[in-house]
Amino acid sequence: MIDLHGFGDQLLQGALITVELAMASLGVGLVLGLLGAAAKLSSIAPLRWLATIYTTIVRGIPELLTVLIIYFGATIVLMAIASQFGYDDYIEVGPFTAGVTALGLTFGAYATEVFRGALQSIPKGQHEAATALGMGAFRKFQRIILPQVWRVALPGLGNLFLVLLKDTALVSIVGLDDIMRKANIAVSSTKQPFLFYATAAIMYLLLTIISMVVVTWLEKRASRGMRRG
Amino acid sequence: MSKAPALELIDIHKTFTDVEVLKGISLKAYDGDVISILGSSGSGKSTFLRCINLLENPTKGEIIFNGESLKLTSSGRDLAAADMKQLTKMRQQIGFVFQSFNLWPHMTVLQNVMEGPSHVLKRPKHEVMDYAEHLLNKVGIADKKHMYPNQLSGGQQQRVAIARTLAMDPQVILFDEPTSALDPELVGEVLGVMRKLAEEGRTMLIVTHEMSFAKEVSSEVVFLHKGVVEEKGTPDKVFNSPDSERCRTFLSSTY
Repeated sequence: MIDLHGFGDQLLQGALITVELAMASLGVGLVLGLLGAAAKLSSIAPLRWLATIYTTIVRGIPELLTVLIIYFGATIVLMAIASQFGYDDYIEVGPFTAGVTALGLTFGAYATEVFRGALQSIPKGQHEAATALGMGAFRKFQRIILPQVWRVALPGLGNLFLVLLKDTALVSIVGLDDIMRKANIAVSSTKQPFLFYATAAIMYLLLTIISMVVVTWLEKRASRGMRRG
Repeated sequence: MSKAPALELIDIHKTFTDVEVLKGISLKAYDGDVISILGSSGSGKSTFLRCINLLENPTKGEIIFNGESLKLTSSGRDLAAADMKQLTKMRQQIGFVFQSFNLWPHMTVLQNVMEGPSHVLKRPKHEVMDYAEHLLNKVGIADKKHMYPNQLSGGQQQRVAIARTLAMDPQVILFDEPTSALDPELVGEVLGVMRKLAEEGRTMLIVTHEMSFAKEVSSEVVFLHKGVVEEKGTPDKVFNSPDSERCRTFLSSTY
Protein backbone atom coordinates (compact mmCIF):
# COMPACT_ATOMS: atom_id res chain seq x y z
CA MET A 1 0.00 0.00 0.00
CA ILE A 2 1.21 3.50 -0.77
CA ASP A 3 2.20 5.46 2.32
CA LEU A 4 0.40 8.81 2.33
CA HIS A 5 2.13 9.90 5.53
CA GLY A 6 -1.17 10.27 7.34
CA PHE A 7 -2.65 12.62 4.71
CA GLY A 8 -5.12 10.04 3.37
CA ASP A 9 -7.99 11.25 5.54
CA GLN A 10 -7.23 14.85 4.63
CA LEU A 11 -7.37 14.03 0.93
CA LEU A 12 -10.71 12.22 1.35
CA GLN A 13 -12.12 15.25 3.15
CA GLY A 14 -10.87 17.33 0.24
CA ALA A 15 -12.64 15.00 -2.18
CA LEU A 16 -15.90 15.54 -0.32
CA ILE A 17 -15.50 19.33 -0.66
CA THR A 18 -14.67 18.97 -4.35
CA VAL A 19 -17.83 16.91 -4.95
CA GLU A 20 -19.97 19.33 -2.93
CA LEU A 21 -18.60 22.29 -4.85
CA ALA A 22 -19.14 20.56 -8.19
CA MET A 23 -22.73 19.56 -7.39
CA ALA A 24 -23.70 22.98 -6.04
CA SER A 25 -22.16 24.70 -9.08
CA LEU A 26 -23.96 22.25 -11.36
CA GLY A 27 -27.28 23.17 -9.76
CA VAL A 28 -26.66 26.89 -10.15
CA GLY A 29 -25.28 26.40 -13.66
CA LEU A 30 -28.23 24.33 -14.92
CA VAL A 31 -30.70 26.96 -13.77
CA LEU A 32 -28.61 29.77 -15.29
CA GLY A 33 -28.20 27.77 -18.50
CA LEU A 34 -31.95 27.23 -18.91
CA LEU A 35 -32.69 30.86 -18.13
CA GLY A 36 -29.92 31.98 -20.49
CA ALA A 37 -31.23 29.80 -23.31
CA ALA A 38 -34.80 30.98 -22.75
CA ALA A 39 -33.55 34.59 -22.81
CA LYS A 40 -31.53 34.06 -25.99
CA LEU A 41 -34.57 32.60 -27.76
CA SER A 42 -36.91 35.22 -26.33
CA SER A 43 -38.82 37.64 -28.54
CA ILE A 44 -37.90 40.41 -26.09
CA ALA A 45 -34.74 42.05 -27.41
CA PRO A 46 -33.28 43.33 -24.08
CA LEU A 47 -33.42 39.78 -22.70
CA ARG A 48 -31.49 38.53 -25.72
CA TRP A 49 -28.86 41.26 -25.24
CA LEU A 50 -28.56 40.50 -21.55
CA ALA A 51 -27.97 36.80 -22.24
CA THR A 52 -25.46 37.57 -24.97
CA ILE A 53 -23.54 39.94 -22.69
CA TYR A 54 -23.50 37.26 -19.99
CA THR A 55 -22.20 34.44 -22.20
CA THR A 56 -19.70 36.70 -23.97
CA ILE A 57 -18.12 37.97 -20.77
CA VAL A 58 -18.07 34.71 -18.85
CA ARG A 59 -16.83 32.61 -21.75
CA GLY A 60 -14.22 35.21 -22.60
CA ILE A 61 -12.47 35.29 -19.23
CA PRO A 62 -10.19 32.51 -17.95
CA GLU A 63 -11.94 30.52 -15.19
CA LEU A 64 -9.08 31.23 -12.82
CA LEU A 65 -9.65 34.98 -13.16
CA THR A 66 -13.41 34.55 -12.72
CA VAL A 67 -12.77 32.77 -9.43
CA LEU A 68 -10.39 35.50 -8.24
CA ILE A 69 -12.61 38.36 -9.37
CA ILE A 70 -15.70 36.88 -7.72
CA TYR A 71 -13.83 36.05 -4.51
CA PHE A 72 -12.27 39.48 -4.06
CA GLY A 73 -14.93 41.47 -5.90
CA ALA A 74 -17.92 40.03 -4.08
CA THR A 75 -16.52 41.16 -0.75
CA ILE A 76 -16.05 44.72 -2.03
CA VAL A 77 -19.48 44.84 -3.62
CA LEU A 78 -21.27 43.37 -0.61
CA MET A 79 -19.49 45.71 1.78
CA ALA A 80 -20.34 48.70 -0.37
CA ILE A 81 -24.00 47.67 -0.37
CA ALA A 82 -23.97 46.99 3.37
CA SER A 83 -22.40 50.36 4.16
CA GLN A 84 -25.34 52.01 2.40
CA PHE A 85 -27.45 50.49 5.14
CA GLY A 86 -25.06 51.67 7.85
CA TYR A 87 -23.35 48.31 8.35
CA ASP A 88 -19.59 48.84 8.31
CA ASP A 89 -18.11 45.60 9.61
CA TYR A 90 -16.00 43.38 7.40
CA ILE A 91 -18.06 40.95 5.37
CA GLU A 92 -16.31 37.93 4.02
CA VAL A 93 -17.49 35.82 1.13
CA GLY A 94 -16.17 32.35 1.84
CA PRO A 95 -14.19 30.46 -0.77
CA PHE A 96 -17.00 27.92 -1.14
CA THR A 97 -19.66 30.54 -1.93
CA ALA A 98 -17.28 32.34 -4.26
CA GLY A 99 -16.42 29.03 -5.94
CA VAL A 100 -20.05 28.05 -6.46
CA THR A 101 -20.80 31.49 -7.89
CA ALA A 102 -17.82 31.53 -10.25
CA LEU A 103 -18.14 27.94 -11.45
CA GLY A 104 -21.93 28.16 -11.60
CA LEU A 105 -21.69 31.29 -13.76
CA THR A 106 -19.18 29.57 -16.03
CA PHE A 107 -21.15 26.34 -16.37
CA GLY A 108 -24.32 28.38 -16.96
CA ALA A 109 -22.74 30.35 -19.80
CA TYR A 110 -21.67 27.24 -21.67
CA ALA A 111 -24.88 25.40 -20.80
CA THR A 112 -26.85 28.32 -22.26
CA GLU A 113 -25.54 27.36 -25.69
CA VAL A 114 -26.17 23.64 -25.12
CA PHE A 115 -29.76 24.27 -24.02
CA ARG A 116 -30.34 26.77 -26.80
CA GLY A 117 -29.39 24.18 -29.40
CA ALA A 118 -31.53 21.55 -27.69
CA LEU A 119 -34.56 23.84 -27.44
CA GLN A 120 -34.26 24.68 -31.12
CA SER A 121 -34.06 21.01 -32.06
CA ILE A 122 -37.56 20.31 -30.72
CA PRO A 123 -39.93 20.36 -33.72
CA LYS A 124 -42.65 23.01 -33.78
CA GLY A 125 -45.26 20.27 -33.94
CA GLN A 126 -44.35 19.10 -30.44
CA HIS A 127 -45.29 22.53 -29.08
CA GLU A 128 -48.39 22.74 -31.24
CA ALA A 129 -49.74 19.35 -30.15
CA ALA A 130 -49.62 20.52 -26.53
CA THR A 131 -51.01 23.96 -27.33
CA ALA A 132 -53.89 22.52 -29.33
CA LEU A 133 -54.85 20.40 -26.33
CA GLY A 134 -55.24 23.54 -24.25
CA MET A 135 -52.09 22.98 -22.23
CA GLY A 136 -50.68 26.09 -20.56
CA ALA A 137 -47.18 27.32 -21.35
CA PHE A 138 -45.66 26.21 -18.05
CA ARG A 139 -47.10 22.70 -18.14
CA LYS A 140 -46.15 22.33 -21.80
CA PHE A 141 -42.56 23.20 -20.95
CA GLN A 142 -42.45 20.89 -17.98
CA ARG A 143 -44.24 17.85 -19.44
CA ILE A 144 -43.49 17.98 -23.15
CA ILE A 145 -40.50 20.16 -23.95
CA LEU A 146 -38.09 19.78 -21.02
CA PRO A 147 -37.90 15.95 -21.10
CA GLN A 148 -37.01 16.13 -24.79
CA VAL A 149 -34.57 19.02 -24.33
CA TRP A 150 -32.93 17.09 -21.52
CA ARG A 151 -32.31 14.10 -23.78
CA VAL A 152 -30.72 16.23 -26.50
CA ALA A 153 -28.69 18.32 -24.05
CA LEU A 154 -27.36 15.49 -21.87
CA PRO A 155 -24.22 14.59 -23.85
CA GLY A 156 -23.19 18.24 -24.01
CA LEU A 157 -24.00 18.83 -20.35
CA GLY A 158 -22.08 15.71 -19.35
CA ASN A 159 -19.06 17.09 -21.14
CA LEU A 160 -19.42 20.44 -19.37
CA PHE A 161 -19.71 18.69 -16.04
CA LEU A 162 -16.35 16.97 -16.53
CA VAL A 163 -14.78 20.36 -17.22
CA LEU A 164 -16.52 21.79 -14.16
CA LEU A 165 -15.34 18.96 -11.94
CA LYS A 166 -11.74 19.66 -12.86
CA ASP A 167 -12.17 23.44 -12.67
CA THR A 168 -13.04 23.05 -8.99
CA ALA A 169 -9.27 22.73 -8.46
CA LEU A 170 -8.99 26.44 -9.30
CA VAL A 171 -10.94 27.36 -6.19
CA SER A 172 -8.11 25.98 -4.04
CA ILE A 173 -6.24 29.18 -4.89
CA VAL A 174 -8.62 31.21 -2.70
CA GLY A 175 -8.24 28.75 0.13
CA LEU A 176 -10.98 26.16 -0.37
CA ASP A 177 -9.94 22.87 1.25
CA ASP A 178 -10.57 20.72 -1.79
CA ILE A 179 -8.46 17.85 -3.17
CA MET A 180 -6.01 20.25 -4.78
CA ARG A 181 -5.34 22.32 -1.68
CA LYS A 182 -5.05 19.27 0.53
CA ALA A 183 -2.53 17.85 -1.91
CA ASN A 184 -0.56 21.12 -1.86
CA ILE A 185 -0.51 21.10 1.94
CA ALA A 186 0.70 17.51 1.97
CA VAL A 187 3.40 18.35 -0.57
CA SER A 188 4.77 21.29 1.39
CA SER A 189 4.82 19.28 4.58
CA THR A 190 6.30 16.02 3.20
CA LYS A 191 8.30 17.32 0.22
CA GLN A 192 6.93 14.53 -1.95
CA PRO A 193 5.25 16.40 -4.83
CA PHE A 194 4.99 13.48 -7.24
CA LEU A 195 3.31 11.17 -4.73
CA PHE A 196 0.60 13.64 -3.75
CA TYR A 197 -0.03 15.18 -7.14
CA ALA A 198 -0.34 11.70 -8.64
CA THR A 199 -2.74 10.72 -5.85
CA ALA A 200 -4.81 13.85 -6.50
CA ALA A 201 -4.82 13.07 -10.22
CA ILE A 202 -6.12 9.57 -9.55
CA MET A 203 -8.84 10.97 -7.31
CA TYR A 204 -10.00 13.38 -10.03
CA LEU A 205 -9.87 10.56 -12.54
CA LEU A 206 -12.05 8.36 -10.33
CA LEU A 207 -14.57 11.17 -9.91
CA THR A 208 -14.74 11.81 -13.65
CA ILE A 209 -15.15 8.10 -14.39
CA ILE A 210 -18.05 7.89 -11.94
CA SER A 211 -19.59 10.99 -13.57
CA MET A 212 -19.31 9.44 -17.01
CA VAL A 213 -21.03 6.27 -15.82
CA VAL A 214 -23.86 8.32 -14.32
CA VAL A 215 -24.22 10.43 -17.47
CA THR A 216 -24.34 7.32 -19.66
CA TRP A 217 -27.04 5.86 -17.43
CA LEU A 218 -29.01 9.12 -17.58
CA GLU A 219 -28.68 9.23 -21.35
CA LYS A 220 -30.03 5.72 -21.64
CA ARG A 221 -32.94 6.56 -19.40
CA ALA A 222 -33.73 9.79 -21.22
CA SER A 223 -33.73 8.21 -24.64
CA ARG A 224 -36.38 5.62 -23.86
CA GLY A 225 -38.73 5.50 -26.80
CA MET A 226 -36.32 7.21 -29.16
CA ARG A 227 -34.83 4.06 -30.67
CA ARG A 228 -36.76 2.45 -33.43
CA GLY A 229 -37.61 -1.09 -32.48
CA MET B 1 -85.20 28.91 -35.89
CA SER B 2 -82.71 26.07 -35.59
CA LYS B 3 -79.95 25.75 -32.98
CA ALA B 4 -76.93 28.05 -33.04
CA PRO B 5 -73.87 26.64 -34.80
CA ALA B 6 -71.29 24.85 -32.66
CA LEU B 7 -68.58 26.71 -34.48
CA GLU B 8 -68.79 29.75 -36.67
CA LEU B 9 -65.99 31.49 -38.51
CA ILE B 10 -66.69 34.92 -39.91
CA ASP B 11 -64.62 36.60 -42.58
CA ILE B 12 -61.26 35.06 -41.67
CA HIS B 13 -58.29 36.79 -43.30
CA LYS B 14 -54.64 35.86 -43.02
CA THR B 15 -51.64 37.62 -44.50
CA PHE B 16 -48.13 36.19 -44.33
CA THR B 17 -45.43 38.85 -44.88
CA ASP B 18 -46.88 40.16 -48.13
CA VAL B 19 -49.07 37.33 -49.32
CA GLU B 20 -52.75 37.28 -48.45
CA VAL B 21 -53.41 33.58 -47.98
CA LEU B 22 -56.98 33.87 -46.73
CA LYS B 23 -59.21 36.55 -48.19
CA GLY B 24 -62.27 36.36 -46.02
CA ILE B 25 -63.59 32.88 -45.33
CA SER B 26 -66.77 32.22 -43.41
CA LEU B 27 -68.09 28.86 -42.31
CA LYS B 28 -70.71 27.47 -39.95
CA ALA B 29 -70.56 24.02 -38.40
CA TYR B 30 -73.59 22.67 -36.55
CA ASP B 31 -73.43 19.75 -34.15
CA GLY B 32 -72.98 16.56 -36.11
CA ASP B 33 -71.75 18.27 -39.27
CA VAL B 34 -68.87 16.70 -41.15
CA ILE B 35 -67.39 19.38 -43.35
CA SER B 36 -64.63 18.55 -45.80
CA ILE B 37 -62.41 21.36 -47.01
CA LEU B 38 -60.81 20.73 -50.37
CA GLY B 39 -58.44 22.71 -52.50
CA SER B 40 -55.08 22.54 -54.20
CA SER B 41 -51.95 23.21 -52.20
CA GLY B 42 -51.59 26.90 -51.54
CA SER B 43 -55.33 27.39 -51.47
CA GLY B 44 -55.10 28.25 -47.77
CA LYS B 45 -57.09 25.33 -46.43
CA SER B 46 -54.59 24.29 -43.73
CA THR B 47 -53.99 27.89 -42.71
CA PHE B 48 -57.73 28.35 -42.36
CA LEU B 49 -58.01 25.31 -40.10
CA ARG B 50 -55.07 26.50 -37.99
CA CYS B 51 -56.68 29.91 -37.58
CA ILE B 52 -59.71 28.33 -35.91
CA ASN B 53 -57.88 27.45 -32.68
CA LEU B 54 -55.27 30.17 -33.12
CA LEU B 55 -52.34 27.90 -33.94
CA GLU B 56 -52.07 30.63 -36.53
CA ASN B 57 -53.22 34.13 -35.64
CA PRO B 58 -55.67 35.44 -38.22
CA THR B 59 -55.18 38.96 -39.55
CA LYS B 60 -58.89 39.68 -39.39
CA GLY B 61 -62.08 37.85 -38.58
CA GLU B 62 -64.24 36.45 -35.83
CA ILE B 63 -64.39 33.02 -34.24
CA ILE B 64 -67.54 32.02 -32.40
CA PHE B 65 -67.60 28.78 -30.45
CA ASN B 66 -70.84 27.68 -28.80
CA GLY B 67 -72.26 31.14 -29.21
CA GLU B 68 -69.30 32.69 -27.45
CA SER B 69 -67.11 34.99 -29.48
CA LEU B 70 -63.39 34.53 -28.95
CA LYS B 71 -61.97 37.78 -27.65
CA LEU B 72 -59.26 39.04 -29.96
CA THR B 73 -56.92 41.95 -29.75
CA SER B 74 -54.55 43.27 -32.35
CA SER B 75 -50.93 42.24 -32.01
CA GLY B 76 -48.77 43.75 -34.72
CA ARG B 77 -50.58 43.11 -37.98
CA ASP B 78 -52.40 40.03 -36.72
CA LEU B 79 -55.02 39.37 -34.08
CA ALA B 80 -54.17 37.46 -30.93
CA ALA B 81 -56.23 36.11 -28.06
CA ALA B 82 -57.19 38.84 -25.63
CA ASP B 83 -58.14 36.36 -22.94
CA MET B 84 -55.73 33.42 -22.69
CA LYS B 85 -58.07 31.61 -20.29
CA GLN B 86 -60.90 31.74 -22.77
CA LEU B 87 -58.64 30.54 -25.59
CA THR B 88 -57.25 27.69 -23.51
CA LYS B 89 -60.73 26.57 -22.56
CA MET B 90 -61.82 26.71 -26.17
CA ARG B 91 -58.79 24.72 -27.29
CA GLN B 92 -59.63 22.03 -24.76
CA GLN B 93 -62.96 21.58 -26.52
CA ILE B 94 -61.70 21.74 -30.09
CA GLY B 95 -59.56 18.78 -31.00
CA PHE B 96 -56.83 19.07 -33.61
CA VAL B 97 -55.30 16.19 -35.56
CA PHE B 98 -52.07 17.05 -37.37
CA GLN B 99 -50.73 15.86 -40.69
CA SER B 100 -47.48 14.80 -39.00
CA PHE B 101 -49.21 13.23 -35.94
CA ASN B 102 -46.97 15.12 -33.47
CA LEU B 103 -47.12 12.39 -30.85
CA TRP B 104 -44.75 12.97 -27.95
CA PRO B 105 -41.85 10.58 -28.49
CA HIS B 106 -40.79 10.37 -24.84
CA MET B 107 -44.14 8.99 -23.74
CA THR B 108 -45.74 5.63 -24.42
CA VAL B 109 -48.90 5.39 -26.50
CA LEU B 110 -51.00 5.17 -23.33
CA GLN B 111 -49.22 8.16 -21.73
CA ASN B 112 -49.77 10.21 -24.88
CA VAL B 113 -53.51 9.57 -24.72
CA MET B 114 -53.69 10.15 -20.96
CA GLU B 115 -51.69 13.38 -20.92
CA GLY B 116 -54.56 15.73 -21.82
CA PRO B 117 -57.29 14.42 -19.52
CA SER B 118 -54.99 13.87 -16.56
CA HIS B 119 -52.76 16.95 -16.76
CA VAL B 120 -54.99 19.47 -18.51
CA LEU B 121 -58.47 18.45 -17.36
CA LYS B 122 -57.10 17.03 -14.07
CA ARG B 123 -59.36 14.01 -14.07
CA PRO B 124 -58.53 11.18 -11.66
CA LYS B 125 -55.87 8.87 -13.01
CA HIS B 126 -57.68 5.52 -12.83
CA GLU B 127 -60.67 6.99 -14.62
CA VAL B 128 -58.42 8.45 -17.32
CA MET B 129 -56.57 5.17 -17.75
CA ASP B 130 -59.78 3.21 -18.32
CA TYR B 131 -61.01 5.78 -20.80
CA ALA B 132 -57.66 5.89 -22.63
CA GLU B 133 -57.68 2.11 -22.97
CA HIS B 134 -61.23 2.22 -24.24
CA LEU B 135 -60.24 4.79 -26.88
CA LEU B 136 -57.15 2.85 -27.93
CA ASN B 137 -59.36 -0.15 -28.32
CA LYS B 138 -61.70 1.88 -30.46
CA VAL B 139 -58.93 2.96 -32.84
CA GLY B 140 -57.55 -0.59 -32.82
CA ILE B 141 -54.23 0.01 -31.03
CA ALA B 142 -55.00 -1.47 -27.60
CA ASP B 143 -52.22 -4.07 -27.93
CA LYS B 144 -49.60 -1.37 -28.53
CA LYS B 145 -50.38 0.79 -25.52
CA HIS B 146 -47.00 0.31 -23.84
CA MET B 147 -45.00 0.96 -27.00
CA TYR B 148 -43.42 4.27 -27.93
CA PRO B 149 -44.61 6.26 -30.99
CA ASN B 150 -41.38 5.63 -32.90
CA GLN B 151 -42.05 1.91 -32.76
CA LEU B 152 -45.33 2.30 -34.64
CA SER B 153 -46.18 2.74 -38.32
CA GLY B 154 -47.49 6.09 -39.53
CA GLY B 155 -51.06 4.81 -39.69
CA GLN B 156 -50.85 3.50 -36.14
CA GLN B 157 -49.35 6.79 -34.95
CA GLN B 158 -52.15 8.77 -36.52
CA ARG B 159 -54.74 6.54 -34.88
CA VAL B 160 -53.05 7.14 -31.52
CA ALA B 161 -53.11 10.87 -32.25
CA ILE B 162 -56.86 10.64 -32.91
CA ALA B 163 -57.32 8.78 -29.61
CA ARG B 164 -55.28 11.48 -27.86
CA THR B 165 -57.65 14.10 -29.25
CA LEU B 166 -60.76 12.09 -28.39
CA ALA B 167 -59.56 11.72 -24.80
CA MET B 168 -60.34 15.40 -24.25
CA ASP B 169 -63.99 14.78 -25.27
CA PRO B 170 -63.86 17.60 -27.79
CA GLN B 171 -67.04 19.04 -29.16
CA VAL B 172 -65.47 19.67 -32.56
CA ILE B 173 -62.46 17.95 -34.14
CA LEU B 174 -60.30 19.58 -36.78
CA PHE B 175 -58.31 17.27 -39.06
CA ASP B 176 -55.43 18.83 -40.98
CA GLU B 177 -54.66 16.49 -43.89
CA PRO B 178 -54.58 13.49 -41.54
CA THR B 179 -53.55 10.99 -44.20
CA SER B 180 -51.19 13.07 -46.34
CA ALA B 181 -48.03 11.89 -44.56
CA LEU B 182 -48.96 8.21 -44.81
CA ASP B 183 -47.89 5.49 -47.19
CA PRO B 184 -50.82 4.67 -49.48
CA GLU B 185 -51.45 1.26 -47.89
CA LEU B 186 -51.88 2.90 -44.46
CA VAL B 187 -54.40 5.55 -45.48
CA GLY B 188 -57.38 3.18 -45.23
CA GLU B 189 -56.99 2.36 -41.54
CA VAL B 190 -57.01 6.04 -40.56
CA LEU B 191 -59.96 6.86 -42.82
CA GLY B 192 -61.76 3.86 -41.30
CA VAL B 193 -61.44 5.37 -37.81
CA MET B 194 -62.58 8.77 -39.08
CA ARG B 195 -65.57 7.24 -40.81
CA LYS B 196 -66.55 5.60 -37.54
CA LEU B 197 -66.35 8.97 -35.77
CA ALA B 198 -68.50 10.59 -38.45
CA GLU B 199 -71.10 7.85 -38.05
CA GLU B 200 -71.16 8.49 -34.30
CA GLY B 201 -72.33 12.02 -35.07
CA ARG B 202 -69.14 13.84 -34.14
CA THR B 203 -68.68 17.34 -35.47
CA MET B 204 -65.66 17.35 -37.76
CA LEU B 205 -63.86 19.75 -40.08
CA ILE B 206 -61.53 17.85 -42.37
CA VAL B 207 -58.90 19.29 -44.68
CA THR B 208 -58.19 16.45 -47.04
CA HIS B 209 -57.11 15.25 -50.45
CA GLU B 210 -59.09 12.02 -50.14
CA MET B 211 -61.89 12.82 -52.56
CA SER B 212 -63.91 9.63 -52.35
CA PHE B 213 -63.78 9.75 -48.57
CA ALA B 214 -64.94 13.37 -48.56
CA LYS B 215 -67.76 12.52 -50.92
CA GLU B 216 -68.93 9.61 -48.78
CA VAL B 217 -68.80 10.96 -45.24
CA SER B 218 -69.32 14.71 -45.54
CA SER B 219 -72.51 16.56 -44.89
CA GLU B 220 -70.97 19.57 -46.58
CA VAL B 221 -68.00 20.14 -48.86
CA VAL B 222 -66.14 23.42 -49.20
CA PHE B 223 -63.75 24.08 -52.06
CA LEU B 224 -61.15 26.76 -51.45
CA HIS B 225 -59.19 28.46 -54.18
CA LYS B 226 -56.59 31.17 -53.60
CA GLY B 227 -57.97 32.02 -50.19
CA VAL B 228 -61.64 32.29 -51.02
CA VAL B 229 -64.57 29.85 -50.89
CA GLU B 230 -65.01 29.02 -54.54
CA GLU B 231 -67.72 26.39 -54.14
CA LYS B 232 -69.69 24.95 -51.26
CA GLY B 233 -72.62 22.65 -50.80
CA THR B 234 -73.61 19.03 -50.37
CA PRO B 235 -71.11 16.44 -51.63
CA ASP B 236 -73.52 15.60 -54.43
CA LYS B 237 -73.68 19.20 -55.54
CA VAL B 238 -69.94 19.93 -55.31
CA PHE B 239 -68.79 16.67 -56.86
CA ASN B 240 -71.45 16.21 -59.51
CA SER B 241 -72.63 19.66 -60.55
CA PRO B 242 -70.34 22.39 -59.27
CA ASP B 243 -71.06 25.93 -60.36
CA SER B 244 -67.44 26.90 -60.36
CA GLU B 245 -65.31 26.12 -63.35
CA ARG B 246 -62.18 25.97 -61.18
CA CYS B 247 -63.79 23.47 -58.87
CA ARG B 248 -64.72 21.29 -61.85
CA THR B 249 -61.15 21.43 -63.17
CA PHE B 250 -59.73 20.61 -59.74
CA LEU B 251 -62.01 17.64 -59.27
CA SER B 252 -61.44 16.25 -62.72
CA SER B 253 -57.68 16.37 -62.19
CA THR B 254 -57.70 14.74 -58.77
CA TYR B 255 -60.82 12.61 -58.54
